[in-house]
Order: sequence, then structure tokens, then C-alpha cells
Amino acid sequence: MWVCTGCSCLCDDIEIEGDVIRHACRIGAGLYLNRSVARTEPLIDGKQTDIDSAIERAVEILKDSKRVAIYGLNNSTLEAQKIAMKLAEKISAYVDNGSKFGKLAEMILRKEIPSTTLENVKDYAYVIFYWGCDIHNSMPRHMSRYTYYPRGKKRQRGYEEDRFLVVVDVRKSHTAMLAKKNAIFIKSDDDRKIIREFLTALEGGIASGDVLRVVKEIKKSDFNVIFGGGGLIEGLGNELEEFVRFVSNVGYFIPTDYRTNSMGFFKSLFEAGIPKANLEDLLIDEAVDTAIIVGSDPLDSMPFDVAKKLAKLKLIVIDPKVSFTSKIADVVIPSAISGVECGGRMLRSDFTEVELKPIFKSEFDDAKILKSILGGL
Amino acid sequence: MPSPMDIYKLLPKTNCKLCGEQTCMSFAFKLIKKEKKLEDCKPLFEPEFEEQRRKIEEMLKVVEKATETGLIVNEDLCIGCGNCIVVCPVHVYEDPEGAGSGFGIRLEKPILRVENGIVRVIDVSLCRRYKEKTICVACRENCPTSAIAFLEEL
Repeated sequence: MWVCTGCSCLCDDIEIEGDVIRHACRIGAGLYLNRSVARTEPLIDGKQTDIDSAIERAVEILKDSKRVAIYGLNNSTLEAQKIAMKLAEKISAYVDNGSKFGKLAEMILRKEIPSTTLENVKDYAYVIFYWGCDIHNSMPRHMSRYTYYPRGKKRQRGYEEDRFLVVVDVRKSHTAMLAKKNAIFIKSDDDRKIIREFLTALEGGIASGDVLRVVKEIKKSDFNVIFGGGGLIEGLGNELEEFVRFVSNVGYFIPTDYRTNSMGFFKSLFEAGIPKANLEDLLIDEAVDTAIIVGSDPLDSMPFDVAKKLAKLKLIVIDPKVSFTSKIADVVIPSAISGVECGGRMLRSDFTEVELKPIFKSEFDDAKILKSILGGL
Repeated sequence: MPSPMDIYKLLPKTNCKLCGEQTCMSFAFKLIKKEKKLEDCKPLFEPEFEEQRRKIEEMLKVVEKATETGLIVNEDLCIGCGNCIVVCPVHVYEDPEGAGSGFGIRLEKPILRVENGIVRVIDVSLCRRYKEKTICVACRENCPTSAIAFLEEL
């Protein structure tokens, strides 16, 4: 049995027999089968070197720089993230992982918003909301492994009778196409407006037909769950008060951030007491001169104008795979693929700790590299 | 999917019985059910029927892709979500602790299994549609990427 680290589902029922990987979705299978494709090599200014000199050069760059940002860490284990937080404290660096779930994750950690585990969802949940996320594509096994389709202790009669699916999205996504019998798709133009409508209906007021139908189903059960994705975060903006009230009226909230260990990142950050920075804002303000990129490709994902500014920084990339960012980096330190070549612990999207079961062994992983950089300083 | 009538129109229509069937119409039916092969119709392979034979071969291409239950899996569209495996009523009955509870299927020979990120047909003899028992479309209904199709719906 292998624990897949393709997304934050962290499926722990994967079987591997030679070159055949069973039960994993295309993301997980791709991660395992293509593990030896496009691997990085230790580089300094584009020239090949050995890993120790690359780490030494990284330490030199960090010593010379005024303000550093640490970005990524989503594919690193909790152990590596903790060392990264120590490093950030030592050089007073900004820390960011590129995810927008920070506020809600912190609220869950502070217990200001009720949350539950995916096992409980499987056993007890009746109404399941997917709000602003196309879960079928971002975390393919989420619905079949944990939420809508499987039968649980108190939900024995299957998805057609014992579950009610609500998909709220701006477009008819693949997930919305699954809303058929005992399910509803609500097209959203304004998330806050729909939440207000739900709140009115829950308190016995007047609302549209779709909302009233969902509220009728919500009242049938005391265990309902809302999965919120990037769309919901964008839709809510900074006004979370109504949403929190909505969640406590309905049941529980679980974020659906596809980034593998993004929740682990927020927990490490929360425990270390470091505020989350936003690298894009820092780049626009030109507040940093060096960036350590761990297992991420911001040059690819950031807007062009911001990415142009990122390319001008001194870049230290710690990544097992070649990326756009690693191609222009000053120092590239090859690492191990978490879960495949190095073990540790990670947090699933519902903050449940999962122990990884690596198949291969690697000499260097994120934790070791960050530790030697920290030691060098 | 081609109808037996479409195929019958292109057959020699002589009821020669060389294929072992009583009529060309019944041969057309069995051709679609994959119980007979096109090669069994010997007169069709004579030069005068060549054009008609090609047309039938073209029609039967889609039938050949399908399994005995009419299930067609388009591997390019599948993302391996496993919805089809968990919703399958036979899988739930045979493997309640595995597929029924959302885990990877534990049966030695299931109907479908995700291998290398793509759903593969392993053994259709368990399927409720096998030998036309029940018309069940649970797997197709829960595949939003249209990777699963059934012959009669094409």
C-alpha cells in the first residue's frame, strides 16, 4: 500500500506491482510512473556542480541578501516545513505558498469555524456542498473515495438515496454534471448574495425555489458539510462573517485545496506564529531581493508582469523536477519527490495527519537540504 | 450503433444458410451481438459484394471496440476518478468493505479497475448487463468526462 501525494486527498489504498499502479487516479499514477522524467541536477548559474557546492552557494547568496522570501513548500513534508519556518525566523524571511485558503485554514485551526474529518463525512454526511470548486478535476478521487459515492456507517443506501449533492459554481463544470438525481446545480453570479439567500431561508424567510429545496434537505439531517474551493474564496473576499454564520447553521466546512500539503503549511505557519505573506504583493512592491522556491513553479503560475519581476531576483530553487523557475534560477538543488522517494508526515485537506510510505530512498530531501542551509547560516 | 436492418440491406439476402443461420436477417442480428463473424458469410467475400462488405466492416468497427455487454471505454478521456467503480451495484455487493466504502476494489477479477490512472475492463461476466439480464447504466451516468459509453446509446 502506497500513500499517493498527487493531491491533498492523500489516498492510502494504492497498490503497486512492478510498473502497474492500481486505484490511483491519473495525477497519482503520473507522479509515480514519471518519477524519473525531467529530474533536476545541481546547478550554479546554469553550470553543473555537486550538491554540496550548490548548498554552499545558496548559503552565500542568503548571507548577502537583505530580505528573503520562502515560497512553495506545498509538496514538502511537515518536517521540512517546520525547518523552513525555523529558517524563516532566523533570517526574518517572508513565507508564502501561493494558496488563498490561508484565512479560512487559520479560522479552522482557531476553531472559529466548525470542521470535521473526511471519514465522518463518509459515515454521516447527508447534504454535501461543493462550492466554487471543480473537484472532479482538481482532486479526482475526492467524491468516490470520501464524500458522495461511498457508503458509510449511517449512510448505507448509496448516493441516490442517502446523499444530497449541491454544486454551486459559475459554470457547469464536470462536478456540476454529476448533479443528477437527488442533487442540484446552482449557478452563481454572486456567492455572497446566495449565502445571504440561504441565511434568510434557514431562518424561515423567502428565497428562490432552488435554495428552498436545499434548505428543506439541510433540515432533514444534522450532519451536512460544505466543501469550499478557490471560487468560494474569491467570491467571499474579505467578508467572512456571513459565511461563518452560514456554516454554523448548516454543519461543517472543509477546504478543498488541491495543493498536497497546503494545510500542513498553514498549520506549521500557525504554530510558528509567522504571518502569511503574499509573494505577488512583495514583488510588486519590490520588497524582496532573494527567493527560495521549494517544490513550486511560480514563474509559470504568476501573472506575466509579476513573473518578470520574480525573474530579476536571486533565485534558489529546491525541486526534484525541472520547471520554468528552475531554468532561470541562480542555484538549483535537486530534491526528492515527497511520498515516492522520501517519507514523513503530511496533512490531508481536512487536517488529518497521514504518514507517508515511500517506495524508494533518496539521499537528499527537502528537510535535509533546508537543514544544511540553516546549519550553514 | 448500426441496426441489424442496416446490415441486412448490405448482405447478399439469398438466405443461402452457408453461415449456419436460417436467414440473412438472423445472421445480421448475431453479427451485432458478436456471436457470428463476418467471415462466416462466404458469398460476401466474392468480388461482386466487395463494396458492400467494406461498408459493413466500417459499420462493425464501433461494435468491435465494445465488450460483450456493449461497454466502450475511451481511455484518452478517463482521468481515473473511480466513480464508475464505486457506484457499480455489483462491486458494492461483492466488495462492500472495498469499493462499496470508497477504497480501491479488492476483488481479484472485478468488472472495472483503475490501472495506471485509467479505468480498464477486467472481467465483464459479473456485470448485470452480461447476456442481457438488466439494462444498468450506473457507471456511464457518473462519468462526466464521457469516457464510458454503451453501444446502444451511440
